[in-house]
Amino acid sequence: MPRSVWKGPFVDGYLLNKAEVSRASGRNEIIKIWSRRSTILPQFVGLVFGVYNGKKFIPVQVSENMVGHKFGEFSPTRTFGGHSSDKKAKRG
Amino acid sequence: MARIAGVNIPTNKRVAISLRYIYGIGPQNAVEICEKLSIPLERRVNQLTDEEVLRIRELIDREYRVEGDLRREVAMNIKRLMDMACYRGLRHRRGLPVRGQRTHTNARTRKGKAVAIAGKKKVTK
Repeated sequence: MPRSVWKGPFVDGYLLNKAEVSRASGRNEIIKIWSRRSTILPQFVGLVFGVYNGKKFIPVQVSENMVGHKFGEFSPTRTFGGHSSDKKAKRG
Repeated sequence: MARIAGVNIPTNKRVAISLRYIYGIGPQNAVEICEKLSIPLERRVNQLTDEEVLRIRELIDREYRVEGDLRREVAMNIKRLMDMACYRGLRHRRGLPVRGQRTHTNARTRKGKAVAIAGKKKVTK
């Protein structure tokens, strides 16, 4: 079930401050955030966030069509490179 | 035979059933269309007058997104997800289930037919 509209989008409050400070400073540096659960708001467009995936901060350049998604969606927490194909050779 | 919304040629079934042969029109929409045009549910396609067929065609053109247009929209939505490199997009790229289903077993619809793993030992009793 989707979130009730009357509640508005969920964002951890401190992100708004962080975004504003970064906008004001003008320098385009990565804003490190841990809040993967926050919705991406229109005022974040154009900024670069470093979204923590449990190990690293994945840089995410926020574009217009990301609005409405959550930060966590852009920072995968699992790595899977596929299975190795040399199994046959080992058995020989 | 009636051609509605492009290539679809439903048969001598009931109208509400044969409309569902059109991509984008399911049970709900099919019945809705019949109600809007006050076509009785038990009427079959070959009993429709030309005028009724015309009205169905117009209604679908006007109010429903079907066939090519709908397919394009779906493809665009998926492409959007893939270009954004979000989790759902990555799953689409890899051809794995998108909505958190298990992949340890099953998921054959997305992954395609099972491929044997070379060199894996068969269990023998």
